Amino acid sequence: MTDIVFHVGYGHFLVLAAVLFLIGMAGVLVRRNALIILMSVELMLNAANMTLIAFSRMWGDLSAHTFALIVIAVAAAEAAVGLAIVVAVFRGRRNVEVDHLTTLRH
Amino acid sequence: MIAARKAAAIAVLAGLALAFVLACFARPAVAQPAGETGDAPAQVQQPAPQAPQGYVSGHTIHEDKYESHETGMALLFWAFAAATVGGALFVITRRNLIAAVMGMVGSFLGIAAVYMMLYASFLAVLQMLVYAGAIMVLFVFVIMILNRPEDEPVAPTGRAGTALGALSILYIVGRLAMLLMHVHPPAGEAAVEAARKQLDDTRSVIAGIKDSPDAARHRELAEANEAAAELQYAKVASLSVPPPTREGYEWGSVRAVGTDLFDGGLFPFEAISILLLVAVVGAIAIARPLKDDTTGHAGELP
Repeated sequence: MTDIVFHVGYGHFLVLAAVLFLIGMAGVLVRRNALIILMSVELMLNAANMTLIAFSRMWGDLSAHTFALIVIAVAAAEAAVGLAIVVAVFRGRRNVEVDHLTTLRH
Repeated sequence: MIAARKAAAIAVLAGLALAFVLACFARPAVAQPAGETGDAPAQVQQPAPQAPQGYVSGHTIHEDKYESHETGMALLFWAFAAATVGGALFVITRRNLIAAVMGMVGSFLGIAAVYMMLYASFLAVLQMLVYAGAIMVLFVFVIMILNRPEDEPVAPTGRAGTALGALSILYIVGRLAMLLMHVHPPAGEAAVEAARKQLDDTRSVIAGIKDSPDAARHRELAEANEAAAELQYAKVASLSVPPPTREGYEWGSVRAVGTDLFDGGLFPFEAISILLLVAVVGAIAIARPLKDDTTGHAGELP
């Protein structure tokens, strides 16, 4: 039992990433503010990145670092476009609760 | 109703914590490295072991890289993991958006530290620059533009919706907890020593094999065994200093990542440059105030 606390293996990093992903997923499912949902998506992307890097270290293959780099760039682009959409929606409706965005519902 | 929703949220968070604890403690403490549950190494048949005559200490890769600085590193890992998970929980539980962003920044700093523990130094710096710098500023700006706390923090409406949401989240958490129990267990120092010894033995067998009658077959077997043992060693020695890359650069440094990026990842690199350009133009085009903004309807093309 103390071994698990005092000897950190790859499993620890993978479990940490999985818990982070779970928290982000719970945020996307539970919250209704669009900004919080965007932040939760960022958390999930970071969890995926952490898994990539842990496996990269585990298998001794550096190409996952390149992959994580590209994921970071795509996340930045996604945040920029997502926040622009949030601003545009707020300008029209004075509100960014996703429950109220039902115009596209048929 | 609000109390019920708060109870549901607390139940979800407790489930997350329980999954983490279960995944950490569901395994026996020390993994047995040699014959371990039918992964690769023990399956390869040991070639007829001869007296290791020309014993060569073949530790060209991992030699003396393992130091026993594990305990301090482990405590640091727990601290950074607490920062990461605590910040993430802050994000999804606060009603105040600025508080949520600050929690997100704390979480990202913890993630950068965890990257550093995985010897991804370049990515750790990049994480701080891009996330804790740029994306955080972007979020704070947008929140300052539209600062409205939301009405209630939990989305599902109605008793049936609440029950359905709670059930599905419980199902997902349970499935993930079951999955996490199968994660490779953390290995102790004894396991690292045993794996290292196995790697050493295999290499000594390879060194002593050249006088055997059918040397070719034995060498083949022994080399497969060496690869498996090396993999096993790399698996258990997680916090040790990683070996340098093929080109001889330090693991995770700017040189190593840059060499890999511009060697095999040149096309994705150019592609994300175009993607970022399009994203910048698109963000400006979407968020720009329209000419007839007085009507109060954004979103139509000008």
